[in-house]
Amino acid sequence: MRFIDSTNFERLLKKLSSEGELFVPVRDEDSGKLHLQRAESFPLPEGTTFDGYRTVESLKAFGQLVRSTVAEYPMPDGEAFESEGQFPTFVVVGAKACDLYALKMVDKVLIEGEFTDPFYQSRRDHMIIISADCSECAESCFCNLLGKRPFPEEGFDLNISRISGGFLVEAGSLRGEEVISANEEFFTEPRPGQAKARDDVRAKVIEELENNNRDFPEATVMTEPLRELLTDDLWSGEAARCVECGACTNICPTCYCFLLFDQREGNESYRRISSWDSCQVTGYARMAGMGTPRAHLSDRVKHRFYHKYDYLVLSHGEIYCTGCGRCIDACSAGIDMRDVFRKVKAQAAK
Amino acid sequence: MKNPYYPIDTVVEDIITETPTIKTFCLKPKKPIAFRAGQFMQLTVPGVGEAPFTPSSDPNISEKMEISILKTGKVTDALHELKPGAKVGLRGPFGKGYPLDKLVGKEVLVVGGGVGLAPMRALLYALFNDPSKYKKIVIKFGAREPEELSFRRQYDEWGSLAPNISLQTTIDVPHPKWDGHVGLVTSILDDLDINIPDSYALSCGPEIMLKFVTLKLLEVGYKPPQIYLSMNRKMSCGMGKCGRCNVGHYYLCVDGPDMCYDKIKHVPNVFG
Repeated sequence: MRFIDSTNFERLLKKLSSEGELFVPVRDEDSGKLHLQRAESFPLPEGTTFDGYRTVESLKAFGQLVRSTVAEYPMPDGEAFESEGQFPTFVVVGAKACDLYALKMVDKVLIEGEFTDPFYQSRRDHMIIISADCSECAESCFCNLLGKRPFPEEGFDLNISRISGGFLVEAGSLRGEEVISANEEFFTEPRPGQAKARDDVRAKVIEELENNNRDFPEATVMTEPLRELLTDDLWSGEAARCVECGACTNICPTCYCFLLFDQREGNESYRRISSWDSCQVTGYARMAGMGTPRAHLSDRVKHRFYHKYDYLVLSHGEIYCTGCGRCIDACSAGIDMRDVFRKVKAQAAK
Repeated sequence: MKNPYYPIDTVVEDIITETPTIKTFCLKPKKPIAFRAGQFMQLTVPGVGEAPFTPSSDPNISEKMEISILKTGKVTDALHELKPGAKVGLRGPFGKGYPLDKLVGKEVLVVGGGVGLAPMRALLYALFNDPSKYKKIVIKFGAREPEELSFRRQYDEWGSLAPNISLQTTIDVPHPKWDGHVGLVTSILDDLDINIPDSYALSCGPEIMLKFVTLKLLEVGYKPPQIYLSMNRKMSCGMGKCGRCNVGHYYLCVDGPDMCYDKIKHVPNVFG
């Protein structure tokens, strides 16, 4: 563990910005919320805040572009995937623990297994992540209900913990260690008491989270009896409020589903596009001949919950929700996942 | 590394009209594509899009591939407009395919309906490779009308390939040109000349047919682990990533499209 003061940290970021595009969290004065913004010059934008809580945007778009070309025709030897020079490096600063949990989950789907998405993997390989401890929680934050903690433990190159005068810095990867050793002049050894100061903030945020969510139960992993118990009126109740905008899936850092479609570019040429998609819209699973396995909105609302809290537990070993609460903030109908936990628990208790 | 989204250049060499709505496309990919019966391909019509199809040709042949396709949507409408010589693209194969190893030494019941006969033909070719490996191969095919039975030019040959092979067909409603059995395909599953405990049943067809075939098979004594169904969902990426072809927690594109009924019987609305 090392210490870096605030001035030197900005100097470090300036150096790193020569390696790629720098993104930092900036607090919006009106809403008080943090947005991830490109920092193109120094000094950093007014309102830059490395601690606080997670930004409005997740890191999803760095790995999976909202819309990107995955194949072009005709292309000699188009089957060969070429990553050289295709992918910019992103230096993302101030990512929170929930952001890192989510990246790891999506990595499991898009990189691991029999097939790898080479576009996603290349973009991930080109990310330098300097994460940060949370120093507060939002009303919608509920990572504690998923057994998660508000400070990064893995998945970062460097992690910073704000303390008086600067940050405690931990390396989480070889690349992170290299960043420290290449910039030794910015760092000092931590002084006695600084580690405790960090731990005090961590404990304070955990307490805040517990207070914030004291009216809600922990997320329940589905079990066979519970699957049978959950009745359809639970989902039609949620669906009655849903306006089918897809904001929850778009904002969700663990929603990775995408649509492939082809776009004609001329008589002989066309391109294949991959774009974000939402299981909440009607056409998502529709087949040729207009049949769809989830014709009713309640089926789709239920699917969103089951995909995250059941199917991915069975196929990938964990609940695909980090408790970041972005879906709660984004929902114009006020649908709250924690409320669903409560209803699930109530039905299970019957 | 390979780009899994880029299809192999493929030429349409011939087009066979099977029924008023089904055509078989004889394809020659730029390089051979080895597939197992029941695995599926993503077929691209340039500039229109791609859609999933299970080949209907002999899995022992990898230089060429036949795919039999019902005209039913954007991509298939465009396919039906193609002429020999047209360029298309193929990605795949994807999925697990039929559980051929399990069928060895068993009595195999093959139930197909409508365009569902297409994947079944690839299965039959695989079984016919050495019919003596199976105690029995019992084929039951159904369609709405006589002219909607795909591959009917081959039925006589198939039925007489080996003494342990039998083939029966049915059409849904009476037709002046038909003197065979009339009734849904489930109606020829009642008096099966099969030792059911020693059998596997495999079925492919429209979802509604799969539902009633499954109910009938259960009624005549099959247990869920003995039933394999070629399920219908919108398979797109083929790699278990894009998310849209799930049945419960399974993705048909990697775990199917042929699913053991025992694995999916708990899924609500499994037949849509």
